[in-house]
Amino acid sequence: MDQILLESIWLVPCYALAGAVLSALWFPSITRLTGPRPAGYLNLLMTFLSFLHGLLVLPMVWNQPAKQLFFPWLQVANLDLTLPIEISALTVAATVVITGLNLLAQVYAIGYLEMDWGWARFFSLLALFEAGMCALVLCNSLFFSYIVLEILTLGTYLLVGFWFNQSLVVTGARDAFLTKRVGDLFLLMGVVALLPLAGTWNFTELAAWAQTAEVDPTVMTLVGLALIAGPMGKCAQFPLHLWLDEAMEGPLPSTILRNSVVVATGAWVLIRLAPVLALSSVVMTTLVVIGSISAIGGSLIALAQIDVKRTLSYSVTAYMGLVFIAVGVNQIQAALLLVLTHALAIALLVMSVGAVIWNSTTQDVTQLGGLWSRRPISGLAFIIGAAGLIGLPPLGSFWALLQLADSLWSTQPWLLGLVLLVNGVTAFSLTRVFSLIFGGKAKQMAQRSPEVHWLMILPMMILLGFVVHLPMLLQSFALLPSWVELNKDVALLLLWSSLTGCGIGAVVYLSNAVAKPVQFPLHGLQDLLAHDFYTAKLYRLSIVFSVGLVSQITSWVDRYIVDGIVNLFGIVTIFSGQTLKYSTSGQAQSYVLTIVLGALLVGGLMLWSPQL
Amino acid sequence: MLSTLIWLPIFGAALISLVPMNRSRLAALTIATLNLLWTLSLLWRFDLGTSAMQMQEVLPWLDSLGLTYTLGVDGLSLPLLALNSVLIWIVIYSSSEQIIRPRLFYVLTLLVCGGIAGAFLAQNLLLFVLFYEVELIPLYLMIAIWGGQKRDYAAMKFLIYTAVSGVLILVGFLGLTWLSGSSSFDYNAVSPSNLPLNAQLILLTILLVGFGIKTPLIPLHTWLPDAYVEASPPVAILLGGILAKLGTYGIVRFGLQLFPETWTLVSPGLAIIGVVSVLYGALTAISQTDIKRMVAYSSIGHMGYVLVACAAGTQLSLLGAIGQMVSHGLILALLFYLVGVVEAKVGTRELDQLNGLLNPIRGLPLTSSLLVVGGMASAGIPGLVGFVAEFLVFQGSFSTFPIITLLCIIASGLTAVYFVILLNRTCFGKLDNDTAYYPQVTMREQTPALVLAALILFLGVQPTWLLRWTEPTTNVMVAALTTNHVEQVALNDQPTMSGFQTPTFRN
Repeated sequence: MDQILLESIWLVPCYALAGAVLSALWFPSITRLTGPRPAGYLNLLMTFLSFLHGLLVLPMVWNQPAKQLFFPWLQVANLDLTLPIEISALTVAATVVITGLNLLAQVYAIGYLEMDWGWARFFSLLALFEAGMCALVLCNSLFFSYIVLEILTLGTYLLVGFWFNQSLVVTGARDAFLTKRVGDLFLLMGVVALLPLAGTWNFTELAAWAQTAEVDPTVMTLVGLALIAGPMGKCAQFPLHLWLDEAMEGPLPSTILRNSVVVATGAWVLIRLAPVLALSSVVMTTLVVIGSISAIGGSLIALAQIDVKRTLSYSVTAYMGLVFIAVGVNQIQAALLLVLTHALAIALLVMSVGAVIWNSTTQDVTQLGGLWSRRPISGLAFIIGAAGLIGLPPLGSFWALLQLADSLWSTQPWLLGLVLLVNGVTAFSLTRVFSLIFGGKAKQMAQRSPEVHWLMILPMMILLGFVVHLPMLLQSFALLPSWVELNKDVALLLLWSSLTGCGIGAVVYLSNAVAKPVQFPLHGLQDLLAHDFYTAKLYRLSIVFSVGLVSQITSWVDRYIVDGIVNLFGIVTIFSGQTLKYSTSGQAQSYVLTIVLGALLVGGLMLWSPQL
Repeated sequence: MLSTLIWLPIFGAALISLVPMNRSRLAALTIATLNLLWTLSLLWRFDLGTSAMQMQEVLPWLDSLGLTYTLGVDGLSLPLLALNSVLIWIVIYSSSEQIIRPRLFYVLTLLVCGGIAGAFLAQNLLLFVLFYEVELIPLYLMIAIWGGQKRDYAAMKFLIYTAVSGVLILVGFLGLTWLSGSSSFDYNAVSPSNLPLNAQLILLTILLVGFGIKTPLIPLHTWLPDAYVEASPPVAILLGGILAKLGTYGIVRFGLQLFPETWTLVSPGLAIIGVVSVLYGALTAISQTDIKRMVAYSSIGHMGYVLVACAAGTQLSLLGAIGQMVSHGLILALLFYLVGVVEAKVGTRELDQLNGLLNPIRGLPLTSSLLVVGGMASAGIPGLVGFVAEFLVFQGSFSTFPIITLLCIIASGLTAVYFVILLNRTCFGKLDNDTAYYPQVTMREQTPALVLAALILFLGVQPTWLLRWTEPTTNVMVAALTTNHVEQVALNDQPTMSGFQTPTFRN
């Protein structure tokens, strides 16, 4: 039985996929008969199956060497596209995290989308995401990872565009699709270019190849830069970060999944590719630079956002930036740990604010306040989520950040400073959000805002439990450092930065010392951050404008020059025919005249010609 | 055997002119179904192990002219024949009896079907030209009778362009045969290898221009937007889905296969024309406001990939080229069909007026969902057939033309841009309350789109079924090319198997 379960681990994505396909029956035909709900329950069941399957297999693969399964897909002309599946503790654990979070998100969605009519579409897309992510973590091939990422790009488009009646949603979906697609296409270039160099797309073989590879550094740099573009898009890193912000227009339960694990797909691919990327130091430096810019930029922008979902989405960009830094300095384990702790914590945060959004009719933090007495559970969930996200012992992210900071301590102190800064700013920003929503006096929109119903509270509480107990889980998996080898200086620095951030945040936003609403000292800076460094505008003025212009020009050339020449040809033909027909006058004199003139001309030519 | 594919539709066309008007659709559909079944049996009997011409039929006809009735099928023509049969069935199924002169429509459609099958099957240059010209007049009539407002202009433009293309091809073939001193026009009797290089180059150029008009390639394309847009949806499916493939078929068959030595000389130029076509088509499509015109321009771009792949001339890229021909045929047919449905129900093709068709109650939910599938397949999203073909093209061409391949990948991003514009404006958005009382799309109207979408999905998930027919043929073609491309090798040592299998298990 065990063996069967183990070998059929590839079914984990298939359950969800089956659910997604079956739900398709509900849009919209069966919905008229049964209402939309059965589609949701069906998907919930399928997700539960996946979760259970992963959970049962996890003990079997724990501390075991990785096994591989091979599915032949396509073999043509000496190109062998066999799908390799890696069954290891890491991959199975990742599927458990994904399916578990999706299970909670789906329960949450049943509560959140109570009144919505589009369940089938929504749940089948959630299932598609789950299937895609499980397939991504299980597959051990760059090529198939690319395929999954690209399909998920389409999934993002459809999921963000779920409420397609609203114009902001439509533009958000478009931008999400195109931004991710840009990253994907660069990744595709990298994928295509890597094969002639390495001869394989299998991650394990790639790692082995990278040990001994001798490649032209310029080529390797270019390939490496192309390869990191895909993760940059997925992880919403600068300058491809815009989509995550706009994706907040989508339904909130999908945000739970997106902010926690969907963005992490990019980090996952990056981590798998790390040995190849390490071949070029330029690529590694680029990773660190992009990660740093995103981490600082994201955490700063989050400070100036008033939309509660957006305050969180920019923190995601910042944390994914930290993951990029971790990969850039070759701290793979720290990166993985950070992805995990970040996923759980941010999911809890999104659930918490989702509950507030659901029955407060606003998601503008400046309109809320004083909810702590009315919604203690959501408030508690926010606090725990925030504590789990920033470096606050003993919760999860502290250990991940500690591991990263520890490695930077001796080698790159300025990066350590950066990590501390990002951590502090994020702590400040989360305290700010908490204070604005839960602290102070209730504003108009928050006057009647009771706690939500159990369908949303239950998953929130379960997740809260996991966030709280994550350190114990890590401890039991021997992923935490022992007290002896703990770098106390770094730990203290980290703790200090978190506490400073929280403290300043509390002083500014909870006390009466600073006038409300809080303004930045520089008004321009506040605008700059609130508008996301004007990135959207920059894109509109540069890329969108130039593509639009070039396409207009091409279209004009096509219509008036290329086709114009063709039509001119036709017109000239018709015109000359029309004109020449008058020469056929029927008068003998004119014919004779023509003949005589012609004869004279020919005669003259013959006479004057020098050869004759 | 093979003759059935030609003569069943042609005799069927004659038969239909005898049946009563209201039965004509049924009769045509029967013939198309028989034709499709026959094609399927052909797939069944096709020998995957050999690259030679199979099921050959030889009948002497006008020996003194060198014209024999020789038919044969290989891995290049078989997928295109299958595409032809499928799309003809779709065209006939999706046509309505309410059009004017339905009988004439079916007769012409079947004539085109027979003509195209003949062109793909012919093993004699003159025979090919004959069949190539046979489909010209029916299509001219189909555009001119059942077309949109500017149909006369579009049909005449199509006629002139295609006639010129036919003349050029005939000139090329005659020149090739006479110069090389062959007494027969059979494919295997004609070879330009003993001609001087200049003569070969001139002949190849003439043929490439001829087929380039049909494909079409920049800048010989301007008949295409007019013809595709003015033609009614079934005719547009015929034109874009199958007719265009005659051009690329000719480029492979009579360019690459017939002139292997000269091919490497012209291939860099061809690749540049191809990539320009790809970029030009995509960029022009972005600024269109008529969705049918947008789809028409997308077709120019996608045929450019085929040219790039042919120019690269590796095993993988040729496989991708032929896969792209089939996948483009299916996807374009789906898109044109859906655009036709939208136009019929909503009454407009203008992006500015369309909105919110995904609305589950008053919109066209299934049609717009399938439009998403079609658009995404065309944009090369994995899991759909477009990706497989495009990917093989990219991977195959990269070793020969790296920069051009990268430009093609960028262009596939531009493809996504205009399809997102199309989907955002038509499917997403808010349905206009005043006008949105659209007629229901009946099940009969959904069927063709569902069939095409199912094929697109199936071949995307199981691409072996798309490529297995072709591989032996392309391998031989590449071997004949004199270049010494460094083949890309996937060094995986996994056991080689094909089809659906159980996984292997290793530590």
